[in-house]
Amino acid sequence: MSALVEMKGVVKKFPGVTALKDISFDIQPGEVHVLLGENGAGKSTLMKILSGVYQPTEGEIIVGGKSYKKLTPKDSAENGISVIYQELSVINELSIQENLFVGKLPMKKYGPVKVVDYKYMNERAKELLSKVGLKRDPKTLVEDISISEKQQVEIAKALAADSKVIIMDEPTASLTSEEVNHLFKIIRQLKEEGKGIVFISHKLGEIIEIGDRVSVLKDGAYVGTRDVKDVTADDLVTMMVGRTIQNTYQHEDAPDTYENEEVIFEVRNLSRKDKKVKDVSFKLHKGEILGFSGLVGSGRSEMMNAIFGSEPRSAGDIFIHGKQVKIKSPYSAIKNGLAMVTENRRETGFFYNFDIKQNISILPFIKTSKGKGTIGLTNSKFEKECAEEQKKNLNIKCASVDQNITELSGGNQQKVILGKWLAADSQIIIFDEPTKGIDIGSKSEIYTLMRKLADEGKGVLVVSSELPELLSVCDTIAVFREGQIVKTFPHKDATEEKIIMASTADHVS
Amino acid sequence: MSQSKSLKKEKLTFNTIWQKYGTFGILIILLAVLAILKPTYFFSSSTAPQILAQSSVNILIAMGEFFAILIAGIDLSVGSVVALTGMCMAKLMVAGVNPVVAVLLGILLGAFLGFLNGLLVNVTGLHPFIITLGTQAIYRGVTLIISNSSAVYGFPASFTRVISKSVFGIPLVAIIAVIVALILAFLTKKTKLGRNIYALGGNKESAWYSGINVNLHTLIVFIISGICAGIAGVVLLGRVGSAEPAAATGFETYAIAASIIGGTSFFGGKGKIFGVVMGGLIIGVINFGMNILSLSSTLQQVVMGALIIGSVALDRFVANKK
Repeated sequence: MSALVEMKGVVKKFPGVTALKDISFDIQPGEVHVLLGENGAGKSTLMKILSGVYQPTEGEIIVGGKSYKKLTPKDSAENGISVIYQELSVINELSIQENLFVGKLPMKKYGPVKVVDYKYMNERAKELLSKVGLKRDPKTLVEDISISEKQQVEIAKALAADSKVIIMDEPTASLTSEEVNHLFKIIRQLKEEGKGIVFISHKLGEIIEIGDRVSVLKDGAYVGTRDVKDVTADDLVTMMVGRTIQNTYQHEDAPDTYENEEVIFEVRNLSRKDKKVKDVSFKLHKGEILGFSGLVGSGRSEMMNAIFGSEPRSAGDIFIHGKQVKIKSPYSAIKNGLAMVTENRRETGFFYNFDIKQNISILPFIKTSKGKGTIGLTNSKFEKECAEEQKKNLNIKCASVDQNITELSGGNQQKVILGKWLAADSQIIIFDEPTKGIDIGSKSEIYTLMRKLADEGKGVLVVSSELPELLSVCDTIAVFREGQIVKTFPHKDATEEKIIMASTADHVS
Repeated sequence: MSQSKSLKKEKLTFNTIWQKYGTFGILIILLAVLAILKPTYFFSSSTAPQILAQSSVNILIAMGEFFAILIAGIDLSVGSVVALTGMCMAKLMVAGVNPVVAVLLGILLGAFLGFLNGLLVNVTGLHPFIITLGTQAIYRGVTLIISNSSAVYGFPASFTRVISKSVFGIPLVAIIAVIVALILAFLTKKTKLGRNIYALGGNKESAWYSGINVNLHTLIVFIISGICAGIAGVVLLGRVGSAEPAAATGFETYAIAASIIGGTSFFGGKGKIFGVVMGGLIIGVINFGMNILSLSSTLQQVVMGALIIGSVALDRFVANKK
């Protein structure tokens, strides 16, 4: 069988940068071709050439037996290429069925006028939804369904357009593991129908599970293509990063249990009025990294927010080094040495209007202020020094600390945020999804740093939805379900299966 | 020290120069146009003091407005605050209260009115636009009630005389505006409070997670705006010589215009006091220019509106061109 799409020697130059250097890539019918690479490696650019958003500077694209110098979005659509972007493009205000046929609504004659044929639309929509296994009335508004369901709508939309090639850009980024399994089932079914799937992802476990072939890009250059059955996760990382990355960050001589170590942080009987956290207690020992697993909405982030004072709690005592502390707001948490690296950098992490040094110095300034943060002077010499120190300490890649933070990559932005907490000499650091949307190289640096902090005697708490992350970093993993810790695993006993079981099972044995 | 260093590192492109000195450039261009069109007026020794004195009320109000806009809010009540504080001071002085005490009480009242704005924003969680739109009407209404809808005059001549004084040829009111500007510039550049306000304007959620008390800072911002309007009330009262219940109507428009012309971002988190002063002077020069060119007052409105849009559009157009 011939390839559905073949790209040969594609080069894409932007003013000042070459984003893609001589890339060749093809998609066969009935295969999942994984595209792998760090942020900025050129994956999205390549896919945008395929969908007609960008025009290549050089090269050839062969689609449906015809050779093109470039594709327009129209060429791309007519040749059955669909892209499902990470930021889904469904329209929330419309119903599912209207979304499926947006732009090409089925029409019927109604006397002299043409009107939308809702009856046909509804029947066709039901068919398509059953294909992707979405059990929803097609008339439901899209804003009322979950993210994974929206994604299924996008896939159904691609099917409605009779697509032969479906490109999925990090489709599992915001899905739970159960939803990922469902997505994989759909993908396998699409394969059987002879569709070609391009699957872009960072998650190596998933790639090995679902992929047939994998092509790796690095800094805009083509590294190679392998059959997935012939490679290991380590091989892929080496191809992608160009060096080997360690995959465990626990000490080899770590004790089985930290119970004999000094307790540096303790939470007793923490509850929230909204019942998202119910009577939770836990202890963190010196040298230990404690991770919190659980499904999205199980109450982990809600508990951290209640500890940090950013959201109210109805009951619960907090102890640092055995001493009870009163935390009513993030300000008092900070004064007591707590830090929180929040889940969403853009929304709750940094200040887009500040440069790197201002983003870092804000915390030490607040911590040393009086009058609830309002009294005190800034000091530009101190500001510069503490930013330079964190830049060096955390290996923040920037031209200067006077640069605006929005000019940095996601990984470096995260390091700046971490830097602000370290600059304030925080003792207990909460990491909520610390590596979301960050490339593997920076991830590894952040894990190494977490371990270093724990070794220095600081408290490290991690909330993560990525099990491999928790398993490779944490010494102890607590599993959350319905606002409670249902099980705690020492690192040596923890496996993905056990954790998933504990976070989903109705009865924990 | 560190700032001059970072300045050197930046590439001196037209863009960066414009960003730093653009509003200053507009001011110079306007003055040059005026000098060419009416050289005799322009080069008379009374021109500069006149422009400064006329601009000072707007600049004072605008510097308070600047803070409200800096936190991605707005204060539409400033004109009414000027009127109400002016009216109360006039009443007090007519009743025999020492002018100095009356002035201090007037500024304190401005602070209180700003405090009320901030409190209402915090308690209701509504956008400052809605709150201050409401208090604009309320404060104006109170002014009308306590004045019985008529002007109050006849307060000590010593007060108006002092306010209209000049020191070395510079009007006292302009000196007051400069002093307030210096204090507020210090606040924005050198204090933690100032830094926190920029942070709050840039990202409210990040500010909260960084330990910034959002409600407290919102309250302080509106108090600053109220105090500035109160001081503007003193200046206006002294310059006009009577307290009109309809005084300063629509002044919030010019205050907002001065802030925006001066480069303050409507989305919050960006702007400088120096820029606001420049913005206020630009409006003052336009006003003065239209007067000496003897444009009819009705046409002046149209020209002013067009120039506000034009100058901001020009600024953004140049800034976005890379």
